[in-house]
Amino acid sequence: FLRAFTDFLAFMVLFNYIIPVSMYVTVEMQKFLGSYFLTWDEEMFDEDTGEGPLVNTSDLNEELGQIEYVFTDKTGTLTENNMEFVECCIEGHVYVPHVICNGQILHDCTGIDMIDSSPGGSGKEREELFFRALCLCHTVQVKDDDSVDGLKKNQLSRRSCIYISSSPDEVALVEGIQRLGYTYLRLKDNFMEILNRENNLEKFELLEVLSFDSVRRRMSVIVKSSTGDIFLFCKGADSSIFPRVKEGKIDQVRSRVERNAVEGLRTLCVAYKKLTAEEYSKAQKLLQNAKLALQDREKKLAEVYEKIERDFILLGATAVEDRLQEKAADTIEALQKAGIKVWVLTGDKMETAAATCYACKLFRRNTQILELTTKKIEEQSLHDVLFDLSKTVLRHNGSLTRDTFSGLSTDMQDYGLIIDGAALSLIMKPRQDGSSGNYRELFLEICRNCSAVLCCRMAPLQKAQIVKLIKLSKEHPITLAIGDGANDVSMILEAHVGIGIIGKEGRQAARNSDYAIPKFKHLKKMLLVHGHFYYVRISELVQYFFYKNVCFIFPQFLYQFFCGFSQQTLYDTAYLTLYNISFTSLPILLFGLMEQHVSADTLKREPSLYRDVAKNALLRWRAFIYWTFLGVFDAVVFFFGAYFLFDNTIVTSNGQV
Amino acid sequence: IDYTGTDPSSPCFKCLNVSWDSTPPCTCTINFTLEHSFESNVFMYYGLSNFYQNHRRYVKSRDDSQLNGDNSSLLNPSKECEPYRTNEDKPIAPCGAIANSMFNDTLELYRIDNDTRIPITLIKKGIAWWTDKNVKFRNPTGDGNNLTALFQGTTKPVNWPKPVYMLDSEPDNNGFINEDFIVWMRTAALPTFRKLYRLIERKDNMQPTLQAGKYSLDIAYNYPVHSFDGRKRMILSTISWMGGKNPFLGIAYITVGSICFFLGVVLLIIHHKYGNRNTSADIPN
Repeated sequence: FLRAFTDFLAFMVLFNYIIPVSMYVTVEMQKFLGSYFLTWDEEMFDEDTGEGPLVNTSDLNEELGQIEYVFTDKTGTLTENNMEFVECCIEGHVYVPHVICNGQILHDCTGIDMIDSSPGGSGKEREELFFRALCLCHTVQVKDDDSVDGLKKNQLSRRSCIYISSSPDEVALVEGIQRLGYTYLRLKDNFMEILNRENNLEKFELLEVLSFDSVRRRMSVIVKSSTGDIFLFCKGADSSIFPRVKEGKIDQVRSRVERNAVEGLRTLCVAYKKLTAEEYSKAQKLLQNAKLALQDREKKLAEVYEKIERDFILLGATAVEDRLQEKAADTIEALQKAGIKVWVLTGDKMETAAATCYACKLFRRNTQILELTTKKIEEQSLHDVLFDLSKTVLRHNGSLTRDTFSGLSTDMQDYGLIIDGAALSLIMKPRQDGSSGNYRELFLEICRNCSAVLCCRMAPLQKAQIVKLIKLSKEHPITLAIGDGANDVSMILEAHVGIGIIGKEGRQAARNSDYAIPKFKHLKKMLLVHGHFYYVRISELVQYFFYKNVCFIFPQFLYQFFCGFSQQTLYDTAYLTLYNISFTSLPILLFGLMEQHVSADTLKREPSLYRDVAKNALLRWRAFIYWTFLGVFDAVVFFFGAYFLFDNTIVTSNGQV
Repeated sequence: IDYTGTDPSSPCFKCLNVSWDSTPPCTCTINFTLEHSFESNVFMYYGLSNFYQNHRRYVKSRDDSQLNGDNSSLLNPSKECEPYRTNEDKPIAPCGAIANSMFNDTLELYRIDNDTRIPITLIKKGIAWWTDKNVKFRNPTGDGNNLTALFQGTTKPVNWPKPVYMLDSEPDNNGFINEDFIVWMRTAALPTFRKLYRLIERKDNMQPTLQAGKYSLDIAYNYPVHSFDGRKRMILSTISWMGGKNPFLGIAYITVGSICFFLGVVLLIIHHKYGNRNTSADIPN
């Protein structure tokens, strides 16, 4: 019995070469050297910033080929973070701040061009009010350019002031209005000074500022003009202005606003109200009381605002464009075609985020938008909302499975989901009765059937939370997070692959990430080409390693039948040691570095090729068994070929054995 | 020609159970007929079956430095040779199981020509590898050519009839560099193997080396194989420019080639029939 045991151990010593220990070394080398290909890629080099991609982790190359979820930040990643005033619509007429005279564009012209014909009398007054409203209703501060000579001649030439505000939208609006002829100068001694189109100075006394808050989504100022009229100018989201408007060309403006929103522009509506002196004093008193309240100040202020801001006269709407990054729409489209689900996580509000999503083609025209927002949850309970949504997506899915055999793709309904931070926290909150699991499951179920998800009003930690939720879901998909600012760092660290954009908001994201790229558009090449290549290379390398070891050891195993099971080695010990090191490591290493099974251009052109390697397709059991079978077959051919060749025959020419 | 002698009708049956050290050695003769004449060089092999010269313990049981003529190893063989290392406190030269089991049958070939037996000259040089004979195996150095003196202090392997320095009378085929010994020491890979025994050189180009006809093989049957069901054979073989007679490679090539050709034809038909369909990439989004 002891003999059997010692024999077994001896056989283990003989056959332990089948375990490819050197595979780990080769894999590490291949990954490390392969990551250089990413940094050397010239297409990913950005001339503006002079930066190329950076690789901080060499371990994750093949994960790039396996991505199923991409979480992106909006501002700075999808958009350039550079607001630009596009157009304004006053009383149904659209104004665009460029002059096109005889087909030529004059850049520094201060005039405006009207798409529709010039309005008549009362319209002109409204027009003037609109411009003044935009010039006054904001919280922009002016930083004077000290390099300009501070003389009175400034009134004639156009001053270049630098506007600072917490919201870049406001800066864009003020600058846009400046281009239309109305310049906001400064706030001095409670007087706002503006230059109107004829370069005359107008002074308005600033009486009250009803500042912006995210709940009512508007802001107002109460000003007194030099003629003594008290105006209340209000500027805000269309959803909060339209219900309070009682006069004005509502329908035209509304249609224009909707059209802009679908195009992806950020829209704001402007309205005004003329206040009499007593109305104003009443309002002032209310405001004073609310401001000095010791308890529930927020609530009291909100109530007062509500009372004051009503019965407006609609002036018009503005559209500001946050230009998308170069080729962002193209990238997102390619990613979706490749079967990757794209989620946009942002801290912005829903309307602006939705606008951007439409612009970058995350939501297409026929995408049915499902909403899981706080507003909806207030109407129904969270439970009901979730059930409704899941029924919607699943019902369509169920009917689709019967049709999949016909292969029609035109009927497939795209679902897009919008969820905001508050709703998410409600879903994630653990409930005492233990049914919280259901909510998450339901939520994940809904998400799985949506091709695009937009999460707005997300705090940085919530971004990481949702990444984690997806990471730990049933199929454990590989997640990728991309962002550019410090608020994205938690998301980047949480995801499997974190990518930082070397951008305007500093290097925080780039330093904490696994890969850093200069622009969002480079993500396309990185995933579709590099990721795909890396995955194919590494899976081939791994399979090959097992194959060659099987080829090597199996003849040894077969030989035991012919040598009396005495553990006699077929090969010299030198060969046994050097086989893995010098004989077979170099070819596969070079293969793993250079292999391009499909050309890079084809991969870029056909993003759907990415699906071929999704879900670890090349390293599944089936592929592994195929390679092992191949190895066994080859080994049998090697061994028995040699056996029959040398059996009973002489191969040398001098007869010696 | 199998001459083990298991069959009672075989002339070597009487030698079947003889022990290895019986004197005088048992002899037997087997007559056979050559159908065709053998041209060119003819090689005479002895073959053994069911003899596991590739067993691991057997293969490692040798001392190469001793065989290389190292004087210190001569008197102190390595431990690998156990249990054939020393005999009665004297070191064995050559040590080890491989040397101990050396094949010691003697075969002689006669041609029968009208009742006269003409002996055929068998050449015993040139059967071992050149590197083996001149590099790997060296006799121990010392002054004088007297091998007996050089091997002083050692004893012969247990199952050998004669000590190593009496293997042959010629001095360059004696001792460790005896070619039969060298051929035996090169262990075979498979349990059924053959080893080169003698060469029959061709005569002038006119006559065939071995003419067709009757021959007889005289055997001095020393090597007992019956105890482990082994078999012994004598093989005569010539070689062509491609090596010995081995149909395997030819059959293999022809088989694989015809399969490939057949598959090629089949795939050509399939390609022609179906390959011209215009399949664009129908990928559902």
